[in-house]
Amino acid sequence: MTDSVGTFPAVQLRPRRGLQLCALLLLASWFAPGVALAQFQNPTPDELKMTSDPQAPGAAAVYLYREEKTDDPHSFVTIYERVKVLTEKGKSLATVSIPYEKGMAKISRIEGRTIHADGTVIPLTAKPDDLVSVKEKGFQEDTIVFTLPSVEVGSILEYRLTIRYDDNWLIPPTWDIQQAYYVHKAHYEFDPDMVGAGEKGRLMWGTTPAGLNIPVVTSPNKLTLDVADIPATPDDDSMPPLNTIRERVEFYYTSEINGAEYWKNQCIFWSKGMEGFANPSAGLKSAAAGMIAPGDTDEQKARKIYDVVTKLENTMFTREKSKQEQKKEKLKEIRKAEDVWKDQSGTPNQIALLYVALARAAGLKAWPMWLAPRDERIFSPLHFSIDQLSDFIVVLEIDGKTIYLDPGQKVCGFGQLAWQHTLTGGMQMNEGGAKLAVTPADTYKNNLTVRAAELTVDPQGGVTGTVHIEIGGAEAVELRQVAIEDGPDELKKKTIEAVLDDVPDGMQIDLDHFDHVDDYESRLVAEFKVSGSLGAPAGKYFILPGLFFETRAKHPFVAQAKRTTPIDVHFPRLDKDMVTYHLPDGYTVEGTPKTDDVNWPGSAMLKIDSGMQNNVLNVTRLFARNYTLLNADTYPALHDFYLKLAQADQQQIVLTRTAAPKGN
Amino acid sequence: MRNCTPLRIIAPTAFVFMSVMAHAAHGGIFNHDLPVPDWGLEAAKTHTPDYARDSPAVLLSDEYVETIDSEGRAVERERYAIRILQPEGRRQAECAVSYDVDEKINYFREWTIGADEKQYQAKDTDFVDKGDPNDSVMLMAEKTRIVHPPAADPGAIVICETEELLPPYEQEQQWNFQLTIPAVYQAFEVDLPAGRNYSTAWHRHEPIPPVQVSPGHWRWEVKDMKALDLRDVKATLEWRALAARMSVQWGMAAVDGADNQWRQLGLEYATLEAHRTDATPEITAEAQSLAAGAPDFYTKLKRVTEYIQKNVQYFVVERGIGGWQPHYASDIFRNRYGDCKDKTTLLISMLQVVGIHADYLPVDDRRGVVDPDAPSFYGNHMITAIEVPADMNDPRLMAIAKGKDGKRYLIFDPTNERVPVGNLPNYEQGSYGLLSAGDASQVLALPVLPPDANGMEESGTFALNADGTLTGKVDMTSVGPEGADFRLNLKYSDEKERHAGVERMVAHDLPGVTLDGLEFVQPPDLEKPLEIHVKVTVPQYAHTAGPLLLVRPRVIGEDAIAFDDKPRTLPIDLDATGHWHDSFDITLPAGYVVDDLPDPISIETDFGSYRSAVTAKGNVLHFDRELVVKVVQLPADKAAEFRKFEGTIVFDEKSAAVLKKQPTVAAGGS
Repeated sequence: MTDSVGTFPAVQLRPRRGLQLCALLLLASWFAPGVALAQFQNPTPDELKMTSDPQAPGAAAVYLYREEKTDDPHSFVTIYERVKVLTEKGKSLATVSIPYEKGMAKISRIEGRTIHADGTVIPLTAKPDDLVSVKEKGFQEDTIVFTLPSVEVGSILEYRLTIRYDDNWLIPPTWDIQQAYYVHKAHYEFDPDMVGAGEKGRLMWGTTPAGLNIPVVTSPNKLTLDVADIPATPDDDSMPPLNTIRERVEFYYTSEINGAEYWKNQCIFWSKGMEGFANPSAGLKSAAAGMIAPGDTDEQKARKIYDVVTKLENTMFTREKSKQEQKKEKLKEIRKAEDVWKDQSGTPNQIALLYVALARAAGLKAWPMWLAPRDERIFSPLHFSIDQLSDFIVVLEIDGKTIYLDPGQKVCGFGQLAWQHTLTGGMQMNEGGAKLAVTPADTYKNNLTVRAAELTVDPQGGVTGTVHIEIGGAEAVELRQVAIEDGPDELKKKTIEAVLDDVPDGMQIDLDHFDHVDDYESRLVAEFKVSGSLGAPAGKYFILPGLFFETRAKHPFVAQAKRTTPIDVHFPRLDKDMVTYHLPDGYTVEGTPKTDDVNWPGSAMLKIDSGMQNNVLNVTRLFARNYTLLNADTYPALHDFYLKLAQADQQQIVLTRTAAPKGN
Repeated sequence: MRNCTPLRIIAPTAFVFMSVMAHAAHGGIFNHDLPVPDWGLEAAKTHTPDYARDSPAVLLSDEYVETIDSEGRAVERERYAIRILQPEGRRQAECAVSYDVDEKINYFREWTIGADEKQYQAKDTDFVDKGDPNDSVMLMAEKTRIVHPPAADPGAIVICETEELLPPYEQEQQWNFQLTIPAVYQAFEVDLPAGRNYSTAWHRHEPIPPVQVSPGHWRWEVKDMKALDLRDVKATLEWRALAARMSVQWGMAAVDGADNQWRQLGLEYATLEAHRTDATPEITAEAQSLAAGAPDFYTKLKRVTEYIQKNVQYFVVERGIGGWQPHYASDIFRNRYGDCKDKTTLLISMLQVVGIHADYLPVDDRRGVVDPDAPSFYGNHMITAIEVPADMNDPRLMAIAKGKDGKRYLIFDPTNERVPVGNLPNYEQGSYGLLSAGDASQVLALPVLPPDANGMEESGTFALNADGTLTGKVDMTSVGPEGADFRLNLKYSDEKERHAGVERMVAHDLPGVTLDGLEFVQPPDLEKPLEIHVKVTVPQYAHTAGPLLLVRPRVIGEDAIAFDDKPRTLPIDLDATGHWHDSFDITLPAGYVVDDLPDPISIETDFGSYRSAVTAKGNVLHFDRELVVKVVQLPADKAAEFRKFEGTIVFDEKSAAVLKKQPTVAAGGS
């Protein structure tokens, strides 16, 4: 995705106050800045009598007007909103919550009123509540809460307030133009503190999404934006992170002259830091030498080091030691990779960097990459903030081949990235320093799940048997992390629940055992015993579900015919199902599941086949999807494929009784 | 449904109830580098018993002492030690204390004896206070102080000691000695001043006699209590309804006999709600206007109750005694918002203006939590008991409970915005509540309504094409609490969400369905049924198998409750009584005839009945079934019968009709 970008030079020179960006205000989505407290507006007759909005059909509420003004030189923000309540659900907007950091910001001058459809005005008289969210040594986050009185369907809710923050901070705003509800009109203002930004201080801003023209108007001391008719934030299943979709403008104070310069300097600064941390010291060289053998190839060395590093204590799955414990155990504060090795313990990022250092100590070409995890956001180089980046992975180069490693995730096999770390960007070190880069996509072959059932059916429809499941790739990573964090019992329960979600009603599943829970290079294996009622007799016929593992599957993208947002399915996958039915004597098979190949060329396929020999019926199903992120314009093809898939998975098996069944 | 906490839940043992912040705990004054106390060292010597070996953690020892002053105000001290057995046991070992504006944490200390025997004491940086201001409708000033114990790894023992001055209005305590982890040793003490009495009551445990420690000082002990784990238990009551507990009273309710205790609890609550229901001129005017011209008791009642249901929004910020005490009716009327106590308050106020008497009725919205044999304020909700005149016998007033004195009360929940007066939400049926009616205060059994008070009629007409595509429409008519649930969903959703919700519901039975039409008919009168009309197209609904076409006559709707074959010791929860009827007609494709049909089914039990039949007439396949459920709960010994009943429904829901293509008759003569 690409975003548009603007810059705004410093206009005055004053003693530098410091380029300090912070999350001082932990603001609700509607929140943003302003300059002078807005005046309440008299509602128009049309606003009063409005019962629905043709521009937002079915909406619970709409914003008639929003205003956010930030006066950074004077350290305050004003908010003003007018909301029309259209349904009962919309009444919830009468309650307003504003989180803020106690001691750093103050919410004041809260005024509000409710205007009924008949024009009656009920002012806000109740005192807002100030509730503690989190309080610990040196930090307190509170939330101001108030509810506008006597709200009815048809009411206009109107309120304004001021947020004053500490003079020592610069707070460039983010204008969330797209809101949870349709916006008729909105006005934004930002008076930046270019004096406080210092002599070299500049203001830059980036806008999202790609290609959208957000007409920020600049004047000598101010930036403004007036928008109208903004649709509500999209809310579809399987969307990429909202930061790629939601319309917004983010401002930054910086000393760089443009975005390219910003990232160039950040790369230089970061790579210097990394070189210091991941330095292959003598101690690490000695440690690495102990892990490898003289005749090892580079890949063998890399694997051996990987095995050692991923077995260290990873505090994401345990806990970080307190200062008291560190002192008692004579542990130093972690300043470099060697400290991690000495502690035999570290955070995921520390462990990733330790791997880099040990690999280098063994003579390998290894670099760290600092990226934005895709479950939170997708990296955008046109947003000038390293706050986007949080996770480290490792990039190896062996024999001209690039290998990506994820040692911080603990349970990823060698060469595997957690799905959150695929197809996302960040800063990657290389021989020349560092550059912006993107991680590769995963492939469906790496995410194989095999499900096999061996079922014996009795003439009454009862069934007993076994189910064998092998899970690889991203799903195995998630399940193994559950096992580490929440224990084997939780893994067992989650796996059973997942199987029960898919198989027909009336089945009972008992776990027999797991294999390879700790062998991250292999697929996770689970064996179950199953029993229950499977068949449904219909006179002389006997009907079984054709696709045992898909009987209750919830197929995505079937219900929704049109879509305007991109699609993110996290990772590609390959499913192989094999079901063997041992049928009772005296039945013949009238029809078994089969499908002409359902293909979405290059993206997905489904193949169902079956065969009968003696009393044994085998049904196989192969499903593959080879995509992760899709643009909205591919949705018709995606929808069409899943429609066919959902229908194919509903096939049944019909048995005809040809002789009286033995037994009962 | 919206719940609220009319009365503060007081549940000890923080490590069990962390997620609901229910433990009484204190923010503390800590860290004086104190060594592990002797009681902690002693508790740490306890071996892990065999029954706890697979648990994430085991409570080695937990002792409470409630010291009551002459005014009845308590200081609560708790000392406990937990051994972490598995990594996930760390969560159980995070000690916590909740506190509000009327409470004070005297101290809160934590030590850890590490797996390597090293000893640690938590520092002030290990403590954090957490509130929960993110709920959009119910906010509380209450905070929980949590300690993150140092060295909390498997094998370590976490030892916590807290002391808290409880609020003056709390004169009872719950000892929840059955937990989500096993407990080796637990004790509870009450130390009373001279002249003050106590009373106890036990829920799902035989009473244990106390030992007198000193004059006025009593001690109860429980050893080797197994954990209660309900995750894999189907059709079960809520955890709190099944976990063993003891209630201790030292206030007005410290009297002999359950009836006396309930009466005193009712009187005690009356002091909190005194004058809260007083009507202002504005309330009086509104109530009189609503009742004007009402032809009968029911109509008058309905106008007032619907006013509360439709006009008072659920929102509250609870602070201290606000968890127990409602706001004044005047404030609620002006702001048009409040919690369950407030809605009841304004309702009582308006009803008394129009000559109808009503009382507060504290309950719990989880069936089985309030125990008639264990008098207590334990509960999470407030509803209303409306006195019905002796000569009033209107069949619309179904939710009638009878008091011990013969008075009849219509039980009504004003917080549920869509269950009409006369009916009662499912989750409250079969429960108990405390009727707060002065000297007539008592525990009241809430009624279980007859099947016809709840349920759904589904009728559908469909056409099946030879390629398996099904098109048609379904008309659903829903009454009682089930209809109210639909209405609530409609209230709190927008058009897109409603469409998606119905699509999900239908797609469960009809994968690949397209909704060709969706209409809701929601009469303003809550008594009238809610209607949903859906038009569908389902490609490949019927499947070809050789010359056959298979079609499931039950097009949509699932009646079966999930159950299993495991041995059952706990009661079975059926959720709701009701009557559900499905009637579907499927016109067969040209050229097809019925080859075989499922056998009809009929099963009759004490708790319900189910019948189902598929018939063919001409080219139409007709499916008709009816489920009647008469009770909301069954004892465990009915498990086999219930299993058979549900198994029959599951079996029937899968059954299919088999259609066969008629051979084409060649035209022409011989």
